[in-house]
Amino acid sequence: MSTRGLITRDLRVAVQGNEILKGIDLTIEPGRVHALMGPNGSGKSTLAFTMAGHPGYEVQSGSVTLDGEELLSLPPDKRAKAGLFLSFQYPAAIPGVSVANFLRTARMAVRPEDLNPTKFRKLVFEKLDTLDMDAAFLGRYVNDGFSGGEKKRLEMLQMALLAPKYAVLDETDSGLDVDALQAVGKSVNALRESEEGQDMGFLVITHYPRILKHVPADVVHIMIDGRIVKTGGPELADQIERDGYDGVRDEVAAARA
Amino acid sequence: MPSGAAETIAALPFAPTAAVLEAAIALLARTDDGGAIDSTIRREAFAAFEALPVPGARPGRGWKHDYAKLSYDDLRWTNGRVTMPAAPRRPAAARPDREVDQPALATDNAGGLYHIGATFVDAPSDADPRVTVKPFDAATARAFAAELAGVHGTLVDWRADKFAALATAFQNCGAFVRIPAGVVLDAPIQLVFATAPDAEAVFPHIVVIVEAGARATILERHVGEGDPFVCGIVEAHVADDAQLDYVAIQQTGEAARAFVSRSAYCGRNATMSWHLAELGGTLARTVLNARLANPGARSETAALFFNTGMQHVDLTTGTDHVVGPTTSDTVVRSAATDRGQGRYVGNIVIRPKAHGSDASLRDDALLLSKRAHIDSVPALEIAANDVKAFHGATVGSLDEDALFYVGSRGIPRPEALRLIALGFFEPVIARFPSEALRDEIRTALDAKIDDATEFVS
Ligand SMILES: Nc1ncnc2c1ncn2[C@@H]1O[C@H](COP(=O)(O)OP(=O)(O)OP(=O)(O)O)[C@@H](O)[C@H]1O
Ligand SMILES: [Mg+2]
Repeated sequence: MSTRGLITRDLRVAVQGNEILKGIDLTIEPGRVHALMGPNGSGKSTLAFTMAGHPGYEVQSGSVTLDGEELLSLPPDKRAKAGLFLSFQYPAAIPGVSVANFLRTARMAVRPEDLNPTKFRKLVFEKLDTLDMDAAFLGRYVNDGFSGGEKKRLEMLQMALLAPKYAVLDETDSGLDVDALQAVGKSVNALRESEEGQDMGFLVITHYPRILKHVPADVVHIMIDGRIVKTGGPELADQIERDGYDGVRDEVAAARA
Repeated sequence: MPSGAAETIAALPFAPTAAVLEAAIALLARTDDGGAIDSTIRREAFAAFEALPVPGARPGRGWKHDYAKLSYDDLRWTNGRVTMPAAPRRPAAARPDREVDQPALATDNAGGLYHIGATFVDAPSDADPRVTVKPFDAATARAFAAELAGVHGTLVDWRADKFAALATAFQNCGAFVRIPAGVVLDAPIQLVFATAPDAEAVFPHIVVIVEAGARATILERHVGEGDPFVCGIVEAHVADDAQLDYVAIQQTGEAARAFVSRSAYCGRNATMSWHLAELGGTLARTVLNARLANPGARSETAALFFNTGMQHVDLTTGTDHVVGPTTSDTVVRSAATDRGQGRYVGNIVIRPKAHGSDASLRDDALLLSKRAHIDSVPALEIAANDVKAFHGATVGSLDEDALFYVGSRGIPRPEALRLIALGFFEPVIARFPSEALRDEIRTALDAKIDDATEFVS
């Protein structure tokens, strides 16, 4: 029996007393890409924040395990150390803290064993290059005054440097121009092809199939109103793009009736 | 006249009374040729001290400290000189490098003075020969009377400031610094006031004259574990096209009090930069003023304080745009935790003749515990047309979303708090004029976080 994977079971979550997630069962296997689509307000970010341990989300029941380890009782930093990474839909700014300092501190926290400064520096420059980012970013304050696209690139840079076991990408593709989207795709794929990233599992939250052209999904889930209502192959993403969510809603209503 | 093998310092028990002032005047007459300040002025200043109202709780109603209840118990007032025979202070054991573990004068400098308490004990032997750096005593006052006129006793108006008046009545140490026209110094001039083992009443007067086109950095430090009552005056005259970076770092003992009023005059196209870090003591009252009296003059003020335990800091900045076009830029960052309390009053005056001036004032305060409190009171008074004036102020706690973001990168909450809190001060730290100073301040703030008992949000 294998417990490998980022797994939620019957996950119910409320925000300020309102139930948002109404029993989520998901299994992200190592090495696989799952896409999660759903209309605005359906609960996608709530799922991402709950997995990462945001204190504002009240877990009412269920579990989130990472390769068998229960995450729900851990603070956010321990979840990161367990191997979870969240790419934020709206990354927070940390004025006064340089990107270089932040990357070093994060890497040291997550993988204290292998921080050789010279090697780390080399690694940073390599990843910057993949993401088409200027080294000047290193001297700027984290997300402070960054454009939307710059913030998303920095999320990807952090992911590449922390090389987690599982990554949740919450609308990393939103607001990106074509070049930035390509850079993000390149970075994800480079990571997946690397030795440390080959077994990474992904949950890609998105509104558009276009990111899935760069990072092909093995499975696509549709979330509506706090529930996964449909799961299918990559063609499901194109169907949503073409027809919107009404078709899926009708199917769900028909199935219930 | 000194005659013995060792030396001592003449001292009195201090109290802000006429009797102690008379005793001090008598002592100075005996030991320093009357001292740097005429006894008539001292008596007038003392009368002003007694007549002036105690700085009150307003503006900033949250400020609870009562200056009327200041204690002057157990303080010694000295003549600021090593003159008399027989005593323990001066020899090797009390030399600067042993007394405090600060780099102090040992670091690269263009000159300076080292005091322990109010006593001038040392000056570097390899000072830049072009600059004048003298202890502020009778000989200096006489030798540089012409330079002091119009600066000393003028830029900081003791007739209007109770503690400046006290500092004038009881002045017992300080420095006179002159940078001749056109001289550009690479290294700072360091004026160090290390705390004495006994609690002293230290009344420094520092006068700086930066002549036309000259450029210098002055570093005024108050360091040590001792608990003095420091009450001083700093007056800087920055002549046409000159530039002065003036750094003041206060890092004294837990029960120390430091009241210093600093004021600068800026000539045509002169730039005055104040850099202030209040890190130690239990109560600091600081004034930083700049008078932009000539076209093209500019002032920059960057100040920070971080109050832990029971620390109180009362900071006032004042920028006076007398004529136009003149520019000013003020940035203040303050934080408090435990039961720390702070007040910041930021005054900007743009007078009727200051057309085309540009003033910016930005202050942000961070509260890290429930009982910490910081008041922020910006005051802009604008009497000219076509001027630009910006002011922005915030008082807040740490951003939970930022904390979660940092935590999600594997950084434990205490470290995340530290990172964000230190980052908060960066905009001010970044303006300090050397990497060594910037690092020193970061290290000091980091150590204060360790000392804080409540560091949660
Ligand atoms: N902190 C919060 N406070 C109040 N309501 C919240 C909070 N977080 C989420 N919600 C509510 O929960 C619901 C789901 O929000 P969530 O952000 O998870 O949606 P989403 O699927 O990510 O939407 P989008 O596609 O717009 O990003 C919404 O109704 C939202 O208003
Ligand atoms: Mg969302």
